[in-house]
Amino acid sequence: MGTVTALRASENSKYPGVVEAPRYSCALGGAYMAALATFGAVPILHSGAGCGMAQNFGQNFAAGLNGAGPQGNTSTPCSCLVEEHAVFGGEDKLRNLVRSTIEVVRGDLFVVVSGCVPALIGDDVKAVVKEFRDQVPIIHVNTAGFLGNSYKGYEQYLDAVIDQLLTPKPVKKLQVNLLGIVPYQHVFWKGNLQVLKDLLEGIGLSVNMIFTENNGLEALQDIPAAELNLVFSPWSGVPAAIKLESKFGTPYTVIPAVPVGPKETSTFLRVVAKRLDLNRETVERFIAEKEKRAYRFSEYMADLAMMALPNAYVGIVADTGTAISLTRYGSNELGWLPELVIITDNPPEEFREDIINSLTLGLDSAVKPEVHFEIDAHWIRLLLKAHTLQLILASSLEKHIAVDELNAMQVSVAFPVYDRLIVDRTYAGYRGGLALMEDVAYKYGGPL
Amino acid sequence: MIDLKANTCPNREQRAGAINAYHGKASDLVRETREGTLFNREREFQQSSGCVLNFYLTTRVVTIRDSVMIVHAPVGCSSTALLYREVYRRIPRGEGRPEFDLHWLTTNIDEKDVVYGGVDKLRFAIKEAEERYHPKAIFVLASCTSGIIGEDIEGVVSEIQAEVNATIVPVHCEGIRSRIIQTAYDAFWHGVLKYLVKKPTKKQPDLVNIASMLSYTWQDRLEITRLLNRMGLRPNFIPEFATVEQFEIMAEAAVTAPICPTYTDYLSRGLEQEYGVPYFMYPSPVGIDHTDEWLRTIARYTGKEKEAEELIKEERAQWVPVMQKIQEEFATLRPDGKKIEILGSLGQGRLLTQIPYFEEIGVSSPAAIIQDFDNLVLDEMEQIIEQAGDFDVLVNTFQAAELSHITRKYDPDLALTCPFQGSAYKREKGATRIHALRGDARQWSAQAGYKGAIAYGNFLLQSTKNQSFQQTMLAKTPDTYHDWWYDQPDPLHYLKKEA
Repeated sequence: MGTVTALRASENSKYPGVVEAPRYSCALGGAYMAALATFGAVPILHSGAGCGMAQNFGQNFAAGLNGAGPQGNTSTPCSCLVEEHAVFGGEDKLRNLVRSTIEVVRGDLFVVVSGCVPALIGDDVKAVVKEFRDQVPIIHVNTAGFLGNSYKGYEQYLDAVIDQLLTPKPVKKLQVNLLGIVPYQHVFWKGNLQVLKDLLEGIGLSVNMIFTENNGLEALQDIPAAELNLVFSPWSGVPAAIKLESKFGTPYTVIPAVPVGPKETSTFLRVVAKRLDLNRETVERFIAEKEKRAYRFSEYMADLAMMALPNAYVGIVADTGTAISLTRYGSNELGWLPELVIITDNPPEEFREDIINSLTLGLDSAVKPEVHFEIDAHWIRLLLKAHTLQLILASSLEKHIAVDELNAMQVSVAFPVYDRLIVDRTYAGYRGGLALMEDVAYKYGGPL
Repeated sequence: MIDLKANTCPNREQRAGAINAYHGKASDLVRETREGTLFNREREFQQSSGCVLNFYLTTRVVTIRDSVMIVHAPVGCSSTALLYREVYRRIPRGEGRPEFDLHWLTTNIDEKDVVYGGVDKLRFAIKEAEERYHPKAIFVLASCTSGIIGEDIEGVVSEIQAEVNATIVPVHCEGIRSRIIQTAYDAFWHGVLKYLVKKPTKKQPDLVNIASMLSYTWQDRLEITRLLNRMGLRPNFIPEFATVEQFEIMAEAAVTAPICPTYTDYLSRGLEQEYGVPYFMYPSPVGIDHTDEWLRTIARYTGKEKEAEELIKEERAQWVPVMQKIQEEFATLRPDGKKIEILGSLGQGRLLTQIPYFEEIGVSSPAAIIQDFDNLVLDEMEQIIEQAGDFDVLVNTFQAAELSHITRKYDPDLALTCPFQGSAYKREKGATRIHALRGDARQWSAQAGYKGAIAYGNFLLQSTKNQSFQQTMLAKTPDTYHDWWYDQPDPLHYLKKEA
């Protein structure tokens, strides 16, 4: 067990919500991003006019300079509420908007996401949405910015899907759903989903990524057909998995983080194989072949790993999942010393002990990380400055702090990332560790 | 008349009859505005387009150097400001960027605050900002939620001001207050005029106030600085990257000059009304001719007429021959010998600069798209119609479906686009960007002054040489809208008939 300090600056604050630059948007933002991640879904915002455009810079661009796609940003239908709607109600405006959206925008599923204004003025959004249920597949995410952050919005989206769209389906043997990877907040979400799908298909499963599947509506509707739900976070997606179990009887397994590098990836595959009672020999053969190739390729980066970053003191500032997977890969495969981990996604209290265990138990490094849960960019900066670090894997908020104030190198691996384009880049799976090294080591390359 | 006793400015709708839904001839738009028969209309189909808080303010107020921005709102309303620590630092220090360490806080209005009020959190945030960063100013930005639940921001400010050293500047930018996002400019300048600008103790006859937006780039600032310095003048660029002191001394300046008239309007009028600082609205320094005229106008207010004429003569000798080469190349682009057509513009300010610039480089404009239109620019608009002939106008604030529609309808040789125009860039013919992204300090991205006129001309020429990206995206990705949308003639198909 590493040093786990209870000292958390925000906890000493009278108003822990008052913070500098917390690394997420609001619940509307999270639900909206989940809708955009469902291909073929058309989000309809019942909100002020800025709620969509703001997320373009605060969520899409913030997740590796991504465009918002064909239904995002200014392409997103929005009721653009102003004062007169706040006074007289926005239901008529929404009714016209939904009707016209169905007429003009191509889509398979319409997702009404309601924000702060209708929640405050008491619009009956549910009733308006109901009027269209016999025309098109349509759901309503009854949220508001003040109800929580992006992670909450992701849960609310899944909740609306489960309650309003899903019906029981015959279980397809060996089919699994991937949950817990939050679009945009987990900046490598697209690449992570694809790598996990490819890996699991490699051991004989059939995989529903839900997000970024070519037909998003079908993918959603197929959720109850899974034999098992895999949740890739100690906390995100867990409420959905519990709900799916109670509603459709689908069991679930929580994987603390998307596995990075051969060791964690093989462990993960073995857990799944055991859970689904797969042929052990086939799975071991798959693992052996993948590992052999991954480590043969590791030879290509070995010189640089030994010369540039041997036993580096590492600080990680990231969401729960990214922090766990990079801490474990660095500690158990690269020989790094994980000195400090700051978790920035504000996980609920009841999950924090498990998160600390995932970050501190089973590490080869003699240095175990000091773990903090902190959302305030100011305190994060001060925490970093209290340590001597050589490599900082963080958000791009730490980019200049690392170089100018800590004399360390920094790579942006967690939300927000405004300094690199992330399309399907990922550190997941057998090749993931190499991809991380490709991004980390370039600064020190060169012959003796 | 600007009333600084009031908590905030009037909305653009009230102050200047602003609208953001119109399609027709520019001459009719001007006539109807003059006659007072033009009213804004509601759209049945509408798309997210920015609000008073989140079109502009969160990403710009945060750039004021020795200040702290507090957004009194739920956590999502400030998420665009997450870029504050790194994006602006892309401008190299070697290009003269000042050192800065920017800060903002959210009060994170939650479910409990909605019921019991969040002013205690706001009070705490102000104290916290003071304690952490010792700023010279603290800007408090309002939101839809703070407005609807009736937060008494003015009360908090007057109560707590005595306890903090920083000057607190409330900005009433509730998203729902106005359909016209340009109201944000006025709301911000109102706070600046009311709380920050100091009564002048002396005059600085060589100081020129320039309110600049970063859609004009860092290179544009360097060019403007170069030109003014050569006339013995100094620009006072606000608000981006300015110190609080630069706001305080605005009343000492000789003149307030525009880069974008619609942006600068309220500030310019306020500085004249309260402190007698003269201003002008037209032209902006875009294109060679307009740059000449901009410098001459500044010279009249600063007694630098002689210096201006010398400068203009030298600059023209250097740049006009280069511009002629650009004109020659544009002239040969179409096999039928006609001028190539470019569809562009963005705000009404940019319309006023772009159409004359297009004339200068020798291209034509089949229509103009503008975010908003109000009676602040009527004379200038008439001047442009006189100069360039009448043209079609679509007034809409980032309505992507309407923009896609008219881009197809007019089918120009080149469509100028930005991330706010949806899929309008997917087309067979040319497409390129209207202006650069924030923090883009490349010379390639300049648009202002003499250097900018040349850089932008070359930039537009480049875009005529390869269409593969937009053609591929057109061919390989489905359109966002159904075919009928393009088959019917009216981009404002969903405009409600009544006001």
